[in-house]
Amino acid sequence: MRRALLLVVILALQFVVLEGAIRWHGGSEVAPEFRRLFMQDPRVGHRLRPDARARFTTVEFSTDLAINAQGVRDDEPIGPKAANERRVIVLGDSLVLSVQVPFAQTFCELLEARLNAADPAHRWRVINAGVQGYGPVHEWLFFNAVASEFEPDIVLIGAFVGNDAVEANDTEAWLDAGRPTTAGTEAALNVLRRLVRSSVVLQLVRMRWDLLRGRFSSPTPERPVSSYLADPPPDVLHGLDVSRRAFEKIARRADELGARAGLILFPARFQTDDGDYGRLNDMVHRAGGVLIRNAATARFREALAPLGLPTIDLLPILEAQPDRIGLFYQRTIHFTPRGHELVSGALFDFLMTSGLVRQLP
Amino acid sequence: MVFNSLEFVSFFLVVYALYRLLPHRPQNWMLLGASYYFYAAWDWRFLSLLVGSTVVDFFVGRYLGRETAPGRRRLALVLSLVFNLGMLGFFKYFNFFADSLVRVFGWIGWRVDPVTVNVILPIGISFYTFMTISYVIDVYRRDIRPTSNFVDFALFVGYFPHLVAGPILRAPLLLPQIARPRVVTRMQIVEGLWLAGWGYFQKMFVADNLARLVAAVFGPGATPTGLDVLIAVYAFAFQIYGDFAGYSNIARGISKLMGIELNVNFLFPYFVVSPQEFWRNWHISLSTWLRDYLYIPLGGNRGSSLATKRNLMITMALGGLWHGAAWTFVLWGVYQGLALVVARTIQEWATRSGVTLARGLTWSRVALGVLMFHVTCFGWLIFRAESVTQIVRFSQLLVTDLRPGPSTIRSLLIPFLEIVTPLLVVHIYQARRGSESAPLSLGTVTRYALYGAVGYLIVLFGDFEGAQFIYFQF
Repeated sequence: MRRALLLVVILALQFVVLEGAIRWHGGSEVAPEFRRLFMQDPRVGHRLRPDARARFTTVEFSTDLAINAQGVRDDEPIGPKAANERRVIVLGDSLVLSVQVPFAQTFCELLEARLNAADPAHRWRVINAGVQGYGPVHEWLFFNAVASEFEPDIVLIGAFVGNDAVEANDTEAWLDAGRPTTAGTEAALNVLRRLVRSSVVLQLVRMRWDLLRGRFSSPTPERPVSSYLADPPPDVLHGLDVSRRAFEKIARRADELGARAGLILFPARFQTDDGDYGRLNDMVHRAGGVLIRNAATARFREALAPLGLPTIDLLPILEAQPDRIGLFYQRTIHFTPRGHELVSGALFDFLMTSGLVRQLP
Repeated sequence: MVFNSLEFVSFFLVVYALYRLLPHRPQNWMLLGASYYFYAAWDWRFLSLLVGSTVVDFFVGRYLGRETAPGRRRLALVLSLVFNLGMLGFFKYFNFFADSLVRVFGWIGWRVDPVTVNVILPIGISFYTFMTISYVIDVYRRDIRPTSNFVDFALFVGYFPHLVAGPILRAPLLLPQIARPRVVTRMQIVEGLWLAGWGYFQKMFVADNLARLVAAVFGPGATPTGLDVLIAVYAFAFQIYGDFAGYSNIARGISKLMGIELNVNFLFPYFVVSPQEFWRNWHISLSTWLRDYLYIPLGGNRGSSLATKRNLMITMALGGLWHGAAWTFVLWGVYQGLALVVARTIQEWATRSGVTLARGLTWSRVALGVLMFHVTCFGWLIFRAESVTQIVRFSQLLVTDLRPGPSTIRSLLIPFLEIVTPLLVVHIYQARRGSESAPLSLGTVTRYALYGAVGYLIVLFGDFEGAQFIYFQF
C-alpha cells in the first residue's frame, strides 16, 4: 500500500514537471501558447481571439502569429471600405489559416499582391478568414456572424474534401439552429473537457485514448479517410448534403451583400503524395476497405455542382507539379511556402478567368 | 501483427492467460498454435514455407542422428542446406541477382531481357532459416542430439517472440527450455516487464521519433547540408539501435514472463573501441552465427594473417547481403569487413610494438570510442542510403558543406537531443553495470521514477501508429 502511494506521488510530481516542460517547449497545437489564439463565441463556437499574438514552433517551422482586432489573421484592422477598395474573403479551415508560414507567405497575402499588381486602379484586400478546425457549418456561422461585416466583393468558400463532409455531418444541428447547440450529455461532458483542455499532458493522453478507442470501436478506417472509401458510410453522404446546404447559405448571404461567391476545393496531401497514398492505402486495405484516391474530390464536385458557383479544384494544379512532395509539410497536411505560392497563382488565374473579378461593378 | 500494435497486446494477453492455466505439454501445443497464428496474421500463404522448413529439418536432423555413414550424412546435410538456402535465395535474392546480371550484360554490350518474378519477401525468413541451418549443422557435427519431438522442434523454429526479427536462437539454448516444464519466477516477471517496457520505449519513443528526422534528410526531395546529413546519420544510428534492440528486448521480456530465457542480442554496441568489439555487442546472435557457421569453417584465424583477413571480408560481405538484396547492403558488409581488417592490422602492429590500451575509463579509450562511433556511423550512412549515388553525394557533403541549414538546429539537432538524451542517461548506467536489467537494482524511489518517466514518454510521445520494425525486411 505504501509503495502504491509512493508511485502515485512520483507520477503526480512527474506530471507537474512534464506539464511545465511541454508548456515551456510549445511546438504542438495542444500547447497553451497555441490554444490562446482561440476563444469561444456563442454565435460560432470557437474562433480566433481578436488581437491575440503567439509564436508557434514545431520541428518544421516557427511562425509569429498575429490576429487583428476583428479576429482574423491579418496585419492590419478591417475598417470601412474605401471607394476604390475591393475585398475578397477566403473562408476555410487550417489550410486557409496557415499557421505554418509567416503571414506574408500565406496564399491569401500573395494573392492580394498579385491582384494589386494586375489592377493598380483598385486597392485589393484579401482577407484570410480561415480558422483551425472549421467545417462547412462553422464557415457559414462565422461568415454570417462575423465576416459578412467585412463588406466583401468576392467570397471564396474553401472546402477541404478530406474531412469537411464528416465535420458537416457532425454539426448539422448547428446549421438548422443557426448557432452552436449542445445536447444534454454534451453539456455534462463539457466540464470534463474543460479540465482536460487546461492541461497539455491530459490533452496528449486524451489524443492517445481517442486513437486507441478508435481502433477498438470501429473496424473501418479513420473517419476523415471514409470520404475516400469506395463504399462510404452514410455520414459522409449526408455530410456532403449538409455541406452543400451550408455553402448555399453562404452564397445567398453573399448575394444579399452584393458579393459574388466562388468555391475552392482543397485536396488532402495524400492525393498528391504517392508515398503517403501508399501508406494510407495499406492501412485502409488492412481495415478491410477500398481507398479511391480522388473519390472525395469527385464527391464534393458532384454534391456542390447544383449550386452553380464558379469552382476551382486545386487537385489537378497540384498534381501537375514535378516535385509534389515539397508542396506540403511532412508532419502536417498543410502547404509549405512553395505550396502557398502555387495556390496563390492558381487562385489569381481562377478569379481572372471565372468572371468573378470581371462581374464587379 | 507487430509488437507495437494493439492487436499484438491483445493477442499476447490471451496467450499469456492460457499459458498460465495450462500444464507443460498443452502449453507447447498452444504456443505453437499461437506462433503460427502470429505468423499467418501477416500472410497465411507463407506459413507453408515455415512449416516446410520445419518438417524438412526435423527429419534431416533425425536422420543425421541415427546415420553413421559419413557420405550419407554429408549428403543429407547438403540437401538440407540446398533446400534452406535455395528457399532463402529464391524469395530474397532472385530479382536482385537477375537484375544485376542484366545490368552486367548491358555493360558489356549484351542485351538480355530481364526475368523478374513477382516475389514477396516472406517475413522473418532470414531468421528462421538460419535457426534451422544451425540446428542441422550442430546435429551433423554431433554437437547436439536431435530432438525426437516434432512439436518441440516446431516450437523452437516458430516460437513467436523471436520468429520474425530474431534473436537467431540456437537449439542448445531454446530446445531444452521447450522440452522441460517451466517455472516462472517472480524475478523473471519483474525483469520481463522491465525489458518489455524498456523495449517499447526504445522502439516507440526513440526509434519511431528519430525515423521522422532521418526520413526528412534521406527522403526524396530533401536538399540537406553536410551538417544535416551528419545529424541524420547520428539519428539513424540510434534509430536502428532503438528499433532492433527494442524488438529484441520485447522478445526477451515477454519470453521471461513465460519462463523462457532468450539470449542477449545487444550489449551497448556504441560504447566500444574497436570493430571487433562492436560485432561482439551488435546483433550478437547473427555475428556469433556468422562466426560459427561461416568464418570458422572458412578457416577463421587459424591460417596466415592474409587468410584471416580474407575470411573476415567474405564473412562480412555475406553478412551484409543477409541484411537485404541491394548493393548498398553488400557495400555496407564490405565496409564492415574493411573496418575489421584495418583494426586487425593496427592490432597486429600494436602487439609487435608493445603498445597497449589502458584498461578502465581513460581519455584514450574515450577518444577511441568516439572515433569508433563515427566509423560505425559512416557504415550506417551506407546502410540507410536509398542508392549508391546518395552515398556518394552525402559523403561529399560531409566533407565540403558542414554548415547549418535554415532549420538544422530547430528541426534536427534539438529534437535529436531531446529523443536521445533519456535513452543515453539510462544506457550509461546500464553499460556501467553491464546489464539492461541493472535499473531493477536501483533504490525504490529512483526505480519508480524511472518506470514513471519511461511510461510517460511512451504514452505522451511514443508512436502509436504501429510502425514496422526495420529488421522485419531482413
